[in-house]
Amino acid sequence: MQIDWLTVAAQIVNFLVLVWLLQRFLYRPITEAMARREARIETRLSEAREARSEVETEARRLREKQDELEASRDEMLREARLEADDLRAALENDLRKEMEDRRKTWEHHLEEERDAVAARLRQRAGHQVIDIVGRVLRDYAGTDIAGQVAGTFAERLADLDAEARERLSDAARRAGGRARVESGVPLEPSARSRITRAIHDRIAPDIEVTYGEDDTLLIGVRLTIGEQTVEWSATRFLDRLETTLDEVIESGGGPRSRRAPVTG
Amino acid sequence: MEISPDAWVLYEWRGLQLNATIVFTWAVMALLVIGSRAVTARLSEGETVSRWQVALEVIVSTIRDQIAEVGADTPGRYLPFIGTLFLFIATANLLSVVPGYQPPTGSLSTTVALALCVLIAVPLFSIGDRGLVAYLRTYVQPTPLMLPFNLVAEVSRTIALAVRLYGNVMSGTVIVGILISVAPFFFPVVMQVLGLLTGLIQAYIFAILAMVYIGSASRTRHRADAPPPTDTGE
Repeated sequence: MQIDWLTVAAQIVNFLVLVWLLQRFLYRPITEAMARREARIETRLSEAREARSEVETEARRLREKQDELEASRDEMLREARLEADDLRAALENDLRKEMEDRRKTWEHHLEEERDAVAARLRQRAGHQVIDIVGRVLRDYAGTDIAGQVAGTFAERLADLDAEARERLSDAARRAGGRARVESGVPLEPSARSRITRAIHDRIAPDIEVTYGEDDTLLIGVRLTIGEQTVEWSATRFLDRLETTLDEVIESGGGPRSRRAPVTG
Repeated sequence: MEISPDAWVLYEWRGLQLNATIVFTWAVMALLVIGSRAVTARLSEGETVSRWQVALEVIVSTIRDQIAEVGADTPGRYLPFIGTLFLFIATANLLSVVPGYQPPTGSLSTTVALALCVLIAVPLFSIGDRGLVAYLRTYVQPTPLMLPFNLVAEVSRTIALAVRLYGNVMSGTVIVGILISVAPFFFPVVMQVLGLLTGLIQAYIFAILAMVYIGSASRTRHRADAPPPTDTGE
C-alpha cells in the first residue's frame, strides 16, 4: 500500500476537471430543463385552472340561459295557447254572428215573401168581397153598394157618443165649417145628401161638405173635419181578414214576430 | 499480485509515469462526460422525454434530494461537488465488471485525492458561507483548548474517508483474485455481484459523508456549540 503523490495530484486535477465538465454538461442543463419544465407545467396548470374556471363560468351562464329559455318557452306556449283560445272564441263568435245574420236575413226574406203573398191575397180577397158584397146588396136590397155604404155611415154618425160629436164640432169650428167626405166608390147624389144631412143633424148644421174619392178605402166612407177623422170602410174588415190570414200563415210557416193588429 | 493500479505503468516519459489509475480515471471521466453530453445535447422540455434523459433527471434530482435531506438549504450549491463524487466513485466501481478493468478507486492515491478534495472543500464552502474569520473561530470553539482536537478531527476524518473507500474497493478486488485461485467457477461471480453492491454503497457513503462534513461545518454558524459530526463508517 503506497501513495503516489504525483498520481494524487493528477487525480485531484482530474476530479476538479470532472466537476467542471459535469457541471457544464450534466447538472446545469438537467436542472435548468427540469426547472423550465416545472415552470411550463405550472403555467399550463394555471392556464388549465383558468380555462376550467372560465368553462365553468360559461357553463353556469349557459345553464342560466337555458333555464331562461325554457321559462320563456313555457311562457310563450302559455301565451300562444291563450291566444289560440281567444282566436277560437272570436272565430266562434264571428261564425255564430254570421249564422245569426243569415238566419235573420232568411227570416226577413221569408217575412217579405209572406207579406207579399198576404198583400196579394188581401187584394184579391178584398176585390172578391167587394164583388160578393155588391152583388148580394144589389140582388137582395135593390140598391147599389154606395147607397148602402152611405146609409151605414150615416148610422155610424148617428151612433157617435156625445163626446165624439163635441170633438167633431170643435174641429169644424176651427176648420172654418168645412168638412170632406171621401168614399171608395162614387156616391150617388141621394147618398151624398143623406150623409150631408146626417152631418148637419149630428155635428153642426152649418158645415159645408165636399166629396171626393179614395181607392184605398175600397168600400167605405171617411169623414175629415180639420184634424178629426171618422171612417167606416171595408179596409178595416180586410185588415181583420189580413190578421186572420197572418195567423193562418204563421201556424203553417213557423214562429214569426206578430204584427200589431190595425184598429179603426 | 498487484493490488494497486498505481503500480501498472502503461507509459513512461522522462520519469513521468502514466499508470493505470490515471488512464482508467480518464476512461470513467470520458464515459460520464460523453454520456451526459449525448443526453443533454437533445434535452426535451415537453411532454415526451427520452428514457436516458429521464434516467439522468432521476439521478440528479435524487442526489439533490439527498443533499437537501442532510440539511443543506441550497442543494444546488453543493450538487456539482457531491454529485460528481458519487457519480465518479459509483461509475468507477460499477465498471469493475468489465474484464481487464481496474477500478481507480482501488488505488489509495485516488481515494486520498478525493479525501483531500473533501478536506479542502469543507472549509471552502464554510468560508464562502460566512467568511474566513468566522470559520477560523470555529476551531477555538467552545474553548481555545479544543484547537488541537479540532485539527486532529479534520485530519483523521480525511484519512478515514480515504482509507474506507480504498479498503473496500481494494479488498473486493483482492477477494475476487483469491477466490479465482481457490474456486474458479462460481464464487467469483457472487463476489463480483457483491462487489457491485459494495461499490455503490461506498459511493453513496463517501458522498453523504462529504455532505455531512460540509453541512455540519456550515450549520455551526447557527449552532456554534453543536457537537462535531460523528463518523458513520461501516
